[in-house]
Amino acid sequence: MRKYTRFSLAILLICVVITSAFGQAAKKPVTIELWYGAAITEAGPPPDDWVFYKIAREQLGIDLKLMALPSNENDQDVKILAAAAANQLPDLFMVRRDPWQVLIKQGLVADVDDMYPLMPHRAKNWFDEDSRAHTTINGKSYGLAFPGSLQKNEGLVIRKDWLDRLGLKVPTNLDEFFDVCYAFTYKDPDGNGKNDTYGFGAFVEYFDQEQYLGRRFDPIMGAFGVAGTWNMTKDNFGLNVKKPEFYDALQFVNKMVDAKVIDPDWPSLKKDDFRAAWKQGKFGIMREQFAALAAAANYAPFDKNFPNGEWAVIPPPKGPKGKSSVGIYDTNFRIYAVSAKAAKAGKKEAIARLLDYMATDEGYKLIGWGVEGVNYSIDKDGNITDKGVPNDTKFSSPKGQTVTQLRNMVFYNSEMELISRYPYFKTSNGRTMGPLLYLKTMQSMPWTNVTGAGTIRPHPNNADLKRYMNQGVQEFVLGKQALTKENWQAFIVQMDKLGAAEWERAARQQMEEAGYLQ
Amino acid sequence: MTSAIKLSKSDRVFHFFIDASLFLILAILIIPIWSTLTLSFRPNDFIGSALDGMFLAPWKWSTAAYRALLGHRSFLHSAGNSFRIFFEGVATALFFTVPLAYALSIKSLPGRRLLYIIVLIPYLFNPGLIPNYLLVTKLGLVDKLAAVYLPGAVSVYNTLIMKSFFEELPEELKESARIDGASELTVLLRIVLPLSKPILLTIGLYYGVHFWNDFFNAMLYINSAKLQPLPILLRNILLSSGMNEYVEVSAFGEAPIYAIKAASVFLAAIPMLVAYPFIQKYFVKGTMLGSIKG
Repeated sequence: MRKYTRFSLAILLICVVITSAFGQAAKKPVTIELWYGAAITEAGPPPDDWVFYKIAREQLGIDLKLMALPSNENDQDVKILAAAAANQLPDLFMVRRDPWQVLIKQGLVADVDDMYPLMPHRAKNWFDEDSRAHTTINGKSYGLAFPGSLQKNEGLVIRKDWLDRLGLKVPTNLDEFFDVCYAFTYKDPDGNGKNDTYGFGAFVEYFDQEQYLGRRFDPIMGAFGVAGTWNMTKDNFGLNVKKPEFYDALQFVNKMVDAKVIDPDWPSLKKDDFRAAWKQGKFGIMREQFAALAAAANYAPFDKNFPNGEWAVIPPPKGPKGKSSVGIYDTNFRIYAVSAKAAKAGKKEAIARLLDYMATDEGYKLIGWGVEGVNYSIDKDGNITDKGVPNDTKFSSPKGQTVTQLRNMVFYNSEMELISRYPYFKTSNGRTMGPLLYLKTMQSMPWTNVTGAGTIRPHPNNADLKRYMNQGVQEFVLGKQALTKENWQAFIVQMDKLGAAEWERAARQQMEEAGYLQ
Repeated sequence: MTSAIKLSKSDRVFHFFIDASLFLILAILIIPIWSTLTLSFRPNDFIGSALDGMFLAPWKWSTAAYRALLGHRSFLHSAGNSFRIFFEGVATALFFTVPLAYALSIKSLPGRRLLYIIVLIPYLFNPGLIPNYLLVTKLGLVDKLAAVYLPGAVSVYNTLIMKSFFEELPEELKESARIDGASELTVLLRIVLPLSKPILLTIGLYYGVHFWNDFFNAMLYINSAKLQPLPILLRNILLSSGMNEYVEVSAFGEAPIYAIKAASVFLAAIPMLVAYPFIQKYFVKGTMLGSIKG
């Protein structure tokens, strides 16, 4: 009997040990390697004792390994494609659309349709029809599209104090726009007795979808329906520079240049010079970004120079056919893909768990701002603020920024995010000021939707073609080449010879196939 | 007593143009440096154009950017990593390059021609990114500083320069040591290396500058932020813009981001700028001697 009891106890003990070992194994966290796009590229990574690591391990059963992708998009592509070639892609990674499409063809990223139901907290503010459509190819979603940067965040602004001083009204069409520019140039709007102001200020700022004269001239080009590089309508798709309205728009800009109502330094100004110029009161109308205009540090020099100066957002002027546009916008997303390797290793469920936690109220605040009382506090209006917490750990401090490096994975441009990032302040004469005073108005203005244009493949001779187009347009505007119908036609013919027509054909086919034409 | 040499009019014109040309070249070199330097000291509340900024009085300069960078943990970490890469890289590179160059310089070495061809093949035919990436990852070097310097530890170009230098050394010295029973290793360590200070410093500097500046290998193989060297951080700083440019804070506190960018460029260049004058006298000698025979 005693022998039997001993034997039974020994068996029981072995069972307990084995069960415990299996239990331990079951609790072993899943390792998730995440390559993320840092919110602040120059700040360091989250510290080793970051509270989110602990939460991930203890609450979610995930051992999180983070790596910030290079800050430059081309470097990101190289890094991801090299890792892909060696079949060493991380489990979850941010990727641009072009390399992402390559990875799909190579079968290196997993479809994620089965992950959406596992992320109920993400459903509301992060995933919608547009975002799923953005990552859906041949009926399958191959990535998670998170909301991208703030759209329509620039506007046409005017020196309201100059308008008032000269007794002028806000211009509504191009003729009035020209007249106001003229008055700002020649009627001493600042009253200093010097002829030292201009109507319109700009500089050349090119982006892929904003060529020719660049972004800063788009409110004028938009009056002719030719803002941006491409016309994305089904009936009139093509390069805007080849549209007849573009010639009319150039005639108007040319007229402004001839009348010297545009700050003549615009072809050579850099961004910093341009911003220094409006802070010095050099011109009275411009297109500017909302926070570059009105964030406390950016506004301070202007406020110091012109305590009674005031910038007001105005609608872009209407053109001959009643069109108007501040410029172009795109629905943009950041794609996070799950590697096929991770899916094969059964990590999709853990990745969904991680992402869903980040979208809970607790996770959203933790990833977006850090820990309450350490990195942020809640003010009397219920808004998140960096006031009332230690200076060296507040979310806007160098140290505090490191714990918000993943915030682009949770931010969706909510009111809470905007208020915390762009707080209101008082000007030297006691006015309430802040970027958000401008943002809503800027977003309510007419804009041109060019969704999809960002995916148009560049022409093989891209650099030469763009240089030819942009330099040519600038020469016509500056009068280095006479803006006549004949010269313009010759310019377009040569542009086609360089590949513009061929590029348009390829782009149209691509956009039609992708269903982007409006 | 100095006697002035009277120059003819044509000589004076010639000298004027030479001086003017040199002055122009000096200006071309100095202006961007001066522009970057003054930018790095530009205060946050500065209002004015880039040209105004270049002539801002020094007493209005702000050292905020330098204080911010030198007090920031990312910068100090990265600088430490860069120094480690520099010293470990140079030591490793010389450790491999010297014996190889010496072996190639021995005319009686059996199979010398074959060895020479083997050395030249990767110089002429680069295997490309993916095989390199696979090799480095298979060697387990990902997230190790060695991944930055080991793939470039033997430069064929540097090896050939060093080989030419070794060939220039008097054969009699080596022969006499061999007659006294010295092995090739002893000849290398006791005879050749003590006479090769110029080439060691020159090639060491070549390697050092290359490793100090290397961005690509670090970008590919270093995932841990703690191991990232200065070029990676520098690139991140130089590319920082977007929304960050528009809010009142940067990762470096109150200094304006353009000053941070300029200051980071200067701070990253200082170690190499400091090293050059000390090595310069050997530098010219080393390269010149090495270049006599190709």
